[in-house]
Amino acid sequence: MHDEPLLNVSNLTVDLLTAKSAIRPVDGVSYTVRQGECLAIVGESGSGKTVMNFAPLGLMPTGVTTSLSGSVRFGGRELIGLPEQEVRKIRGKSIGFIFQDPMSALNPVRRIGRQIAEMAELHLDMTPRAAEARALELVKLVGISDPAARLRQYPHELSGGLRQRIVIATALAGEPKLLIADEPTTALDVTVQAQILRLLKDLQRRLNMAMVLITHDMGVVAGAADNIVVMYAARAAERGPVDKVLVKPRHPYTRGLINAIPKREDPIGSQFRGLPGIPPTLGAPFKGCAFAPRCDFSVPTCTASRPPLVPSADGSVFVACPVVNEGRAAA
Amino acid sequence: MTHRPVLKVENLQTRFKSVQRGKFVHAVDDVSIELYPGEIVGLVGESGCGKSTLGRTIVGLEKATSGRVLLDGVDLSTLSGGALRDSRRALQYVFQDPYSSLNDRQTVGEALDEALQIDGIRSRTDRDRRTKELLDQVGLADVVKDRHTRELSGGQRQRVAIARSLAVNPRVLICDEPVSALDLSIRAQVMNLFLRLQKDLGVACLFIAHDLELVRQAASRVYVMYLGKIVEHGPSQELYDHPSHPYSQMLLASVPEADPIAERQRKVPLMVGEVPSPTNPPSGCRFRTRCPMVVDDCKQQVPPAFKLSPGHDAACVFAKDLHRGKRSALLEAEVAATRVAALAS
Repeated sequence: MHDEPLLNVSNLTVDLLTAKSAIRPVDGVSYTVRQGECLAIVGESGSGKTVMNFAPLGLMPTGVTTSLSGSVRFGGRELIGLPEQEVRKIRGKSIGFIFQDPMSALNPVRRIGRQIAEMAELHLDMTPRAAEARALELVKLVGISDPAARLRQYPHELSGGLRQRIVIATALAGEPKLLIADEPTTALDVTVQAQILRLLKDLQRRLNMAMVLITHDMGVVAGAADNIVVMYAARAAERGPVDKVLVKPRHPYTRGLINAIPKREDPIGSQFRGLPGIPPTLGAPFKGCAFAPRCDFSVPTCTASRPPLVPSADGSVFVACPVVNEGRAAA
Repeated sequence: MTHRPVLKVENLQTRFKSVQRGKFVHAVDDVSIELYPGEIVGLVGESGCGKSTLGRTIVGLEKATSGRVLLDGVDLSTLSGGALRDSRRALQYVFQDPYSSLNDRQTVGEALDEALQIDGIRSRTDRDRRTKELLDQVGLADVVKDRHTRELSGGQRQRVAIARSLAVNPRVLICDEPVSALDLSIRAQVMNLFLRLQKDLGVACLFIAHDLELVRQAASRVYVMYLGKIVEHGPSQELYDHPSHPYSQMLLASVPEADPIAERQRKVPLMVGEVPSPTNPPSGCRFRTRCPMVVDDCKQQVPPAFKLSPGHDAACVFAKDLHRGKRSALLEAEVAATRVAALAS
């Protein structure tokens, strides 16, 4: 199967059951990521963007019963229903992770070199000595100066930007085919953010990896991603190539989000553009379009049934909005 | 501006004892700023530059090592007892995280009522009337007052936190990253609230943030801070159009653009090196260890603030050239970045 994308998610639904409540943070989402490609997943807190990526890999808090339906195929293999031991072999090896906060992703009482080497030992069956050599290579790869000295340091001795580089090196230690980066630059300053993004992009190209970039920052999307999925209240509102979606957003929510970004031309002291209302809280599945209460274009059909994500007039962009798809709003 | 500043900070210095014995963390070093009634002023800089410490020192959450904070011309350090409490009420702080700045067990009404009692309003009916007024000012419906703060969304909680600081009729609000914990679609609503409060109530606002575009649109003037010092200050439009300190130039050039085509063509200035430790800041200009334009003079003495245009000054020996020649430092920065990249590979 040469044509199958590296990651093929179709109709993924995640239900979470806690002692108190049942919620559906992900509701029928589909997307694909090919080798060497970067997909951005954008959405607000509670839109399901993180759960969608972590639940199929068993990365959920304890005390929550997770039930998955749909299909997540990675390298031709179905992940849903895979026993934990098998998932463990993939997690951290073929799929690497980068989390938002580099300090909590690293063990504060172990030297950096050991933490990276550990991954190589575990996933590539390396001897400790070979793994240490690999750690040195990786630290060089992520552009850290004086690599040998850094390996002997502890995470608290490094700045936020350096720590995030170490986290990236750790994620790369298992030679992943897919890198999932959850808000990798949100905790960093703009000056450092630019460097880390450039590094990620460069590594992705050089190692021909696929990358899923979870973020809420359109600037990050614009610089790094090929395709984008815009999530709203557990569902995909719009999906397509970044060049098209960011330049000419179709779904009213995507339009609102992009319109809300302050621009250099906005006069000082002028009103900020935003979206009216508040995002829905997670709960039971919603009958119609979850964005309808905040939408300027909503019509009665919006609340009657769930709008499907279908190709728009431009075949490469998929939009879940009946109004846009029927051409009633100027798309 | 012929009127007097409502808040004046003079040569303020805040130091903390370092874990290294006998050393100090120079968090805020010789900072002077002014705030006029009814204006929003931005304070930008990277994490660890001392911008929050400056805000906290102004309201008295940290103790200044030296320097003065004047409210309406009165030095706060000379006050005590009731007079100090009165001045504290005039200076209010809005925290970044509305999830930890409110008591989960209180209803919105209770949270506001508490502040009003502190303000000395004895009569219950007066307090109720004022609660209603405050909720209205921050754009919340009256029914919200019976709900617990934990039931509210982030944006609503931040509105309650703002209403609470307004309860005591402050003259100055110190807002420390007030919208960065909020979702993108909600940010604009809260920002517009600040704009309205400034117009309607004439509250002066020191807006501490790292989001440069947000600050540009909201603030009439901006201070740029690096490693405990103000490196540049000026009217927003002027400063964003003609950044005249190498650090400001880099900071502004680092902001990504949401347009994919523009973003791919954008030249990213790669900052050289790391932010030095505030325990052991560099001599002379603090930015010199990372500056692409550094010369010997920078090591010898702290560069004075050069006046560039009315109200715009920058503390760099090249400020006047940068003000005229705009992006010269950046181009050199790109050269430096290529050099660094060449070294790494």
